[in-house]
Amino acid sequence: MRRFGTKDQILEEAGYSYNFERALYINRRLKKAFSIEFVEDNTDEEITARMNRKSDGRWEFYFNSEPSESVKGALERILG
Amino acid sequence: MAQRVVEDGLRAEYFELPPDIRRVVEELEAEVRHCLLPMTRGLARYEQLVVKSRVKECESAIYALRRDLHEGRTFDQDRSEAYTLKNLTDLAGVRVLLFPRNHVARANQELRRRFPLWTPDPIREYHEGPMLAEAYYGYCDASEIIRGEIQIVPM
Repeated sequence: MRRFGTKDQILEEAGYSYNFERALYINRRLKKAFSIEFVEDNTDEEITARMNRKSDGRWEFYFNSEPSESVKGALERILG
Repeated sequence: MAQRVVEDGLRAEYFELPPDIRRVVEELEAEVRHCLLPMTRGLARYEQLVVKSRVKECESAIYALRRDLHEGRTFDQDRSEAYTLKNLTDLAGVRVLLFPRNHVARANQELRRRFPLWTPDPIREYHEGPMLAEAYYGYCDASEIIRGEIQIVPM
């Protein structure tokens, strides 16, 4: 169970859903994904700032440790 | 078609492990039954102490390894050598089921005495949530590469 209170709410209100399989908050329309570890370790403001960042249409992954290209590629294929 | 180098490598590894897994399960089940025998003999007719053993299935083991990964829970296909099923602590498992639940503490005490060096890893409803069952894992004489896990669960 996730217990991050307002962060959880902020993400869900912005159209992110939680993917239990990958432990990621995902917005497929915006092509953004936040790891649960990132959400846990960052403030509401930091998360909101990243949610509001303009994207170039490619998947963006907000992780504490930058995922490798191989992991990004696998996640892009899985997330669609 | 996506490459699945890691998963296939793990499947190949899994099929080399059954002899060790079986030895661990058999030894562990015998040890647990022996350790709890005095307790079993003292049970009233309505009380239950059931010992069950199980070997984790291949796909379940791969899933468990992936679930334990950090951010993204996704194998890095360029680092297949970094993953091994031997890191799992519950390929071979024994579960002790008890009724009524007040027998859990005594069974746990007896088993902790028998396996004092094993690592506690209680099962929780969620991260840092209430504990559902006592559990611990470690190596036994049956294998140097496969760890066993014991769970003590109220019925």
